Amino acid sequence: MSKLKQALESGKFVVTGEIGPPKGVDLDKCLHDAEILRNHVTAINVTDLQSAVLRIGSLAVSSKLKERGLEPVYQLTCRDRNRLALQSDLLSAWALGIENVLCLTGDHPILGDHTEAKPVYDLDSVQLLKAASTLNQGHDMASHELDSSPDFFLGAVVTPAAEPVEPQVIKMKKKINAGARFFQTQAVYEPEKFERFMDQIQGFKVPVIAGIVILKSAAMAKFMNANVAGISVPDDIIQEMAETAKEDRKKKAVEISARVIRQVKPFCQGVHIMPLGWDDLVTEVIKEAELDA
Amino acid sequence: MHATIQKPIDEILGYFKPGERVFVVGCDNCAAKCQSGGIPETKEMAERLKKRGVNVIGQCVPQPKGISLCKLSNTKKVLQEEYGKEIEQADSFLVLACGQGFHTVMDATDGGMVHPGCDTIFGGETVTDDFITEYCSLCGECIVEYTGGLCPLTLCAKGLLNGPCGGAKDGKCEVDRNRDCGWQLIYDRLKELGRLDEMDIYREPKNNSRWSRPRSLTIGEGEATFKSLGGELKVSSKD
Repeated sequence: MSKLKQALESGKFVVTGEIGPPKGVDLDKCLHDAEILRNHVTAINVTDLQSAVLRIGSLAVSSKLKERGLEPVYQLTCRDRNRLALQSDLLSAWALGIENVLCLTGDHPILGDHTEAKPVYDLDSVQLLKAASTLNQGHDMASHELDSSPDFFLGAVVTPAAEPVEPQVIKMKKKINAGARFFQTQAVYEPEKFERFMDQIQGFKVPVIAGIVILKSAAMAKFMNANVAGISVPDDIIQEMAETAKEDRKKKAVEISARVIRQVKPFCQGVHIMPLGWDDLVTEVIKEAELDA
Repeated sequence: MHATIQKPIDEILGYFKPGERVFVVGCDNCAAKCQSGGIPETKEMAERLKKRGVNVIGQCVPQPKGISLCKLSNTKKVLQEEYGKEIEQADSFLVLACGQGFHTVMDATDGGMVHPGCDTIFGGETVTDDFITEYCSLCGECIVEYTGGLCPLTLCAKGLLNGPCGGAKDGKCEVDRNRDCGWQLIYDRLKELGRLDEMDIYREPKNNSRWSRPRSLTIGEGEATFKSLGGELKVSSKD
């Protein structure tokens, strides 16, 4: 049974991490990043051609984690595969021992490094969740019976700081109806806003794992504010980072992340830490936020 | 309307073999509105090609005024009755129209060699005389009843059917921050219409077999039959 599912069902505050597969065939660095997280997180997300940039696949890397006794959250986007390929990859994932799947829409190819690629989106994220739930029930999307079926623990994403947030809430409810049993969120920097969002979805009764992106600099914060949907780093955090000397930035990054974690902890069921390259800081963030079991 | 834009002249020049006798054909409907193949542009294309040494033996935009080149019976009649001599002499035809008009010329000249002079870019609404934009993707299965009249397949960069992705910022799409998020437009409109509950309903994946190509429509007495890989759909217009 999925350790992530067990942990969330037991009411434990969960920590998940994330690794990004490399552009190439050498997995040493990303498996090393995963190894750092062992004993500190319940599960590790593996991104699926993040930012629409060609990389090794999330299925292969999730499988490698599983082989090493680590718990993957296999991220699967709708961008590159039609419904046949999506269902087939899901069956493959189960056969490889992967139990957790995070179903996402996926960044548009125009944002990546193959801008002329055909955007597939044969299914959207809600339909993908429903397809995966149908496989769990022993059928494919076309109502044909499977000779044996998986039992995925399905997750989805939501953007609590979206403006307006109502369409996100409506879609979140559809995702739950389609089979999402946990949510991971876009990066949270404003605990009060996050608390309001959590109040709004209280009736949904689904575990929400708050996204924590380790902030590297004031410039990164400004860039995300201008360019990344659903992220808004408040001015005081930007100021705090700007006033920090370069050599102290890693320490400050840990401090800010740990503080946000402590502030959101009362309202959610876990945190999902996205290091974006500062993988060596994740364990310090966990320690400083006093999350180690 | 089928929106078209002329291909760059250098690309067109590359089509012709030395001495090839070329007849230029335009369209008085959509291509005329797009100024890619109306009467002035067709005349001008003939001159531009001549100036560059192409052996242009004639040009025409089949009339009556405003008629589509893609109406085969008219195009055939005009080309054969009014331009019979040129058609016979021509080694090829350069068509300034959409892909449908292009093929119509092939049919009207009994399989003549036809060169595309335009790129067919989309089917659109002529919002003003100088601005045409796309609201429909010709998918064969209209769903705008449930989306406030705005097509998510067309207006959302990802064609999502169950609501927005997480990529919009300030109501603008992740693919281009100057472009409206299609689902923001749908949400705003449904809210304004008091029909936001439409967004709560799960929408099934698209039946892509009805978006297969080539498709056909056969028109009969009080009925029409749409044929695609999704099967034959016969509908009465009288019952």
